[in-house]
Amino acid sequence: MALDHPESTVATAPGPPADLDRTTSPQMPGRRRGVLRALILLLGAFVFLFPFYYMLIGSLQAEPDTSLSGVVPKGNLTLENYSEINGAVNLGRSLVNSGIFTGGVLLFTVVFGLLAGYALARLQFRGRGTIFALVLLVQVVPFQLLLIPLYVLIVRSYNLADSYLGMILPFAINTTAVFIFRQFFLQLPDDLFSAARIDGAGELRILWSIAIPLVRPALLTTILLTFIGPWNEFLWPFLVTKQADMQPLAVSLANYISNVAARAANPYGAVLAGACVLAAPAVILFVAFQRSFRTSDIGSGVKG
Amino acid sequence: MKRMPPALTLVPALALVLTATAACGGGGGGDAQEAAKATGPIKVWLSNNKEEVAWGKAMVEAWNAAHADQKITAEEIPAGKSSEEVIGAAITAGNAPCLIFNTAPAAVPQFQKQGGLVPLDDLDGGKAYVEDRTGSVAEQYKSPDGKYYQIPWKSNPVMIFYNKKVFAKAGLDTEAPKLATYDDFLAASRKIVQSKAASAAIFPAPSSEFFQSWFDFYPLFIAETDGKQLVADKKAQFDSPEGLRVAGMWKTMYDEGLAPREKYNGDAFGDGKSAMAIVGPWAIAVYGEKIDWGVAPVPTSTGKPAEAIKTFSDAKNVAMYSACTNRGTAWEVLKFATSKEQDGKLLEVTGQMPLRKDITAAYPEYFSKKPDYKTFAAQAARTVEVPNVPNSVTIWQTFRDAYSESVIFGKKPVDETFKAAAEKVTALAGQS
Amino acid sequence: MSQMSTATLAGPRRRVTTLLGRHPVGMVFVTPYVLFLAAVFAYPLGFAVWMSFHDYFFAAPGAIVDRPFVGLDNYKTVLTDPAVRRSFYNIVIFLVINVPLTVVLALVLATALNAAIRGRTFLRVAYYVPYVTASVAVVGVWLFLFSADGLVNSLLGPLAPDPSWLVNESLAMPTIAIFVTWKQLGFFILLYLAALQNIPKELYESAAMDGAGPLRTFWSVVVPAVRPATTLVVILATITGANLFTEPYLLTGGGGPNGASASPVLLMYQRGVEQGNPDVAAAIGVLLVIGVILISLVNRRLIERD
Repeated sequence: MALDHPESTVATAPGPPADLDRTTSPQMPGRRRGVLRALILLLGAFVFLFPFYYMLIGSLQAEPDTSLSGVVPKGNLTLENYSEINGAVNLGRSLVNSGIFTGGVLLFTVVFGLLAGYALARLQFRGRGTIFALVLLVQVVPFQLLLIPLYVLIVRSYNLADSYLGMILPFAINTTAVFIFRQFFLQLPDDLFSAARIDGAGELRILWSIAIPLVRPALLTTILLTFIGPWNEFLWPFLVTKQADMQPLAVSLANYISNVAARAANPYGAVLAGACVLAAPAVILFVAFQRSFRTSDIGSGVKG
Repeated sequence: MKRMPPALTLVPALALVLTATAACGGGGGGDAQEAAKATGPIKVWLSNNKEEVAWGKAMVEAWNAAHADQKITAEEIPAGKSSEEVIGAAITAGNAPCLIFNTAPAAVPQFQKQGGLVPLDDLDGGKAYVEDRTGSVAEQYKSPDGKYYQIPWKSNPVMIFYNKKVFAKAGLDTEAPKLATYDDFLAASRKIVQSKAASAAIFPAPSSEFFQSWFDFYPLFIAETDGKQLVADKKAQFDSPEGLRVAGMWKTMYDEGLAPREKYNGDAFGDGKSAMAIVGPWAIAVYGEKIDWGVAPVPTSTGKPAEAIKTFSDAKNVAMYSACTNRGTAWEVLKFATSKEQDGKLLEVTGQMPLRKDITAAYPEYFSKKPDYKTFAAQAARTVEVPNVPNSVTIWQTFRDAYSESVIFGKKPVDETFKAAAEKVTALAGQS
Repeated sequence: MSQMSTATLAGPRRRVTTLLGRHPVGMVFVTPYVLFLAAVFAYPLGFAVWMSFHDYFFAAPGAIVDRPFVGLDNYKTVLTDPAVRRSFYNIVIFLVINVPLTVVLALVLATALNAAIRGRTFLRVAYYVPYVTASVAVVGVWLFLFSADGLVNSLLGPLAPDPSWLVNESLAMPTIAIFVTWKQLGFFILLYLAALQNIPKELYESAAMDGAGPLRTFWSVVVPAVRPATTLVVILATITGANLFTEPYLLTGGGGPNGASASPVLLMYQRGVEQGNPDVAAAIGVLLVIGVILISLVNRRLIERD
């Protein structure tokens, strides 16, 4: 069973926004260095991508072949493992459930997380320090410690078993996102806000007409980061949903991988095919949007 | 970077939370008497084993057709170890279904302690029904307070499957191989591995989940002691001479490389990696076509005759859960699902043995059609269950850790480790 | 913290604002998040802490059970349990391998990536892909690769360890450490990339003028300049590592050979959920949280010292 929590806490000082596509390190002369650099990078990329390649190949094998020659497929390819999954798991329904679960989390996070991040960054009020400390504490405490009390709370007290809200609730506002928003708002120039205040604008007005229009870059980053958690989350929906048509993709596939796959003609292949199906949407989404993924909002101001 | 929180604001917040917590917990209990008579729609859970689901769905349809006002809704839960976690969580949350057709006897003490189960004795004719259907074997399923919190449903008597092709390749007899004594078993295993007919003679999972001992140590222990449970009379039994003999046999298997120490991700027997497997008849549905298999009883040190050998039942039972409001219906469904007809269907569809008296006599047609299963049916009458004692899961985990350390990985001597574990286990079994 | 410019306020408002802060509307903005935290975090955490001081198990609603206060008993049980001690030791092994490896690899790869011009998109995607995929999916292929007759052992031939990686008592945890490093590296590379962007060009130029070669530049310009990022990476990696659950659970189900790859959170799950002893599990959890906070504070002090 898996639990995937992307976690990040960030330093607080502001800094100039950075652009990933701009090189700031000076042009190092010497072709040798360039070659060395390329070699390191390619080796790294190979190490990172090879397991995925192997996963793909393994899922297409008709008979499990763990030898060295099996790495490069020569025949022995079939799509049967995938059709088996299609027969055993309702992929469409699971995708929809994952979508609703993840979408719900994104919605709550973007609305309430943004408000909280802005307030923590730009407004001074009683309890701000405590809340920020709590934000940090949330990162440290493992989910398993909270698991059963949370389950009792949501299923017994709130009666939300087998419901989307029950799945969403523990993850509703992603604390990392709050952090990123806070970080982002911190590094906006003060003058924007002080000028508006001097002009007599109310805080709500400032939020609406100044802060929100500027937040777009951070928004995409936050969405991409926040997406990973609920999409890959297994343990919580597993406990909370019993009806097969409420289960998100991670649960359906994990169920398939651990129970049904052993009965398939090629168990290894079936497991890997399940894994590929689970990994695909997240990877595709990331590849599609990675250009808009700016490190500025996560890590700028990581100096001092 | 991090700001130390003003402790003053955290403390009262926490205090508030704690007092609120202490105040909740404990609500009104339902009226058990009324619930016992109530009828209406109910929910049941089935394991997600393909064949069991097929049986379950057919059973539910048959019932629903005849009882439109007391419909059953069936859902699936994971069949593996995670089913206990799911059920435990459901009990805590108060949303467990009326019946769960996948209640592991090892988990029953825990569910009972949680207040999650309904004693069948309190239902109309409950005790008589259970004992009538299952006979003397039912005794083992009683809880320490003498009541039945589960109905013995089906068993998978554990025996030794062997791959006839691999045996032939190793030069062993395929029709009646000599596997009755430990010496015979070891000799056969050595031959298999040396001749490279398979990479392992037998491949029980060497990982440390609490239930793995049910498929290596426990069946042989039961056979060797002629039916003793791991814990009897609130005392651990496995550090006896018989227990040490069984452990010694397995230790030799691991030491000589006849059984691997690494978990295989997949089915070792099904993939031809091991020549034998120690499983119950549910495996026939899985291997039936793939492997030309034969079956033999588990070995004993002296080679007892097959008709006298007892083994582990690997039973899965049905229990009624206290969250159930329409217990009247639930009880009727339970009786329906374990009736002679439905038991027969279960046998046909899954090949698993209903825990019923004299099944060979009850279903003569089936057994004449499928003589393979007759061996299992005969064995099913001589099965032993896990002990129904408090802290059952912790006890099995403690034992497994000791077994893993001394027998599988040979880090410590067996007799010391078993003795230490036995003390812990006896202490755990004595709690209430 | 950036300074806010102060606006002049009228008399009575001043009293309110000093009580509630200058922008009390901030409390309104933060309220949904705070409610969320209170319900979903503070309450279960408080409950867990309370549980650790009682003889507690979960019962069906309506069941009457005795839950006596037992003071530090659970903590005593936990601290004298060899399995628990082993799990904390395992985490230390994990951290000792994972954290330095993460820092070094992330910085090196980020530096290289920063200077590279071609194929940048491809490389970025390549490094981030493991982070984005669910452990459940990726674990399957790792088990496949590292099994006794898997690809890695075929490549190593006679050098392959016996027993093989994940069942080898001394190699199980290191193997998991490498898996997790691989999986999380993308995120840390990104953190370092951002920090590298902020290094002013002048530093590089003055180093070049002093005649420093690439290695020297790396050592005396880059490394000190990214120190805050390093602190962050170390603390984050430590927290994630200490709370390790998924990987030991999936890769070595049950805690590995002899508990050699059990992590404290895995034990918490076993004791709390599987065996029905949430009080003991809560004690382990509280100890873990305290430990992590302490280590993080120490780490921060150590790195930011010189």
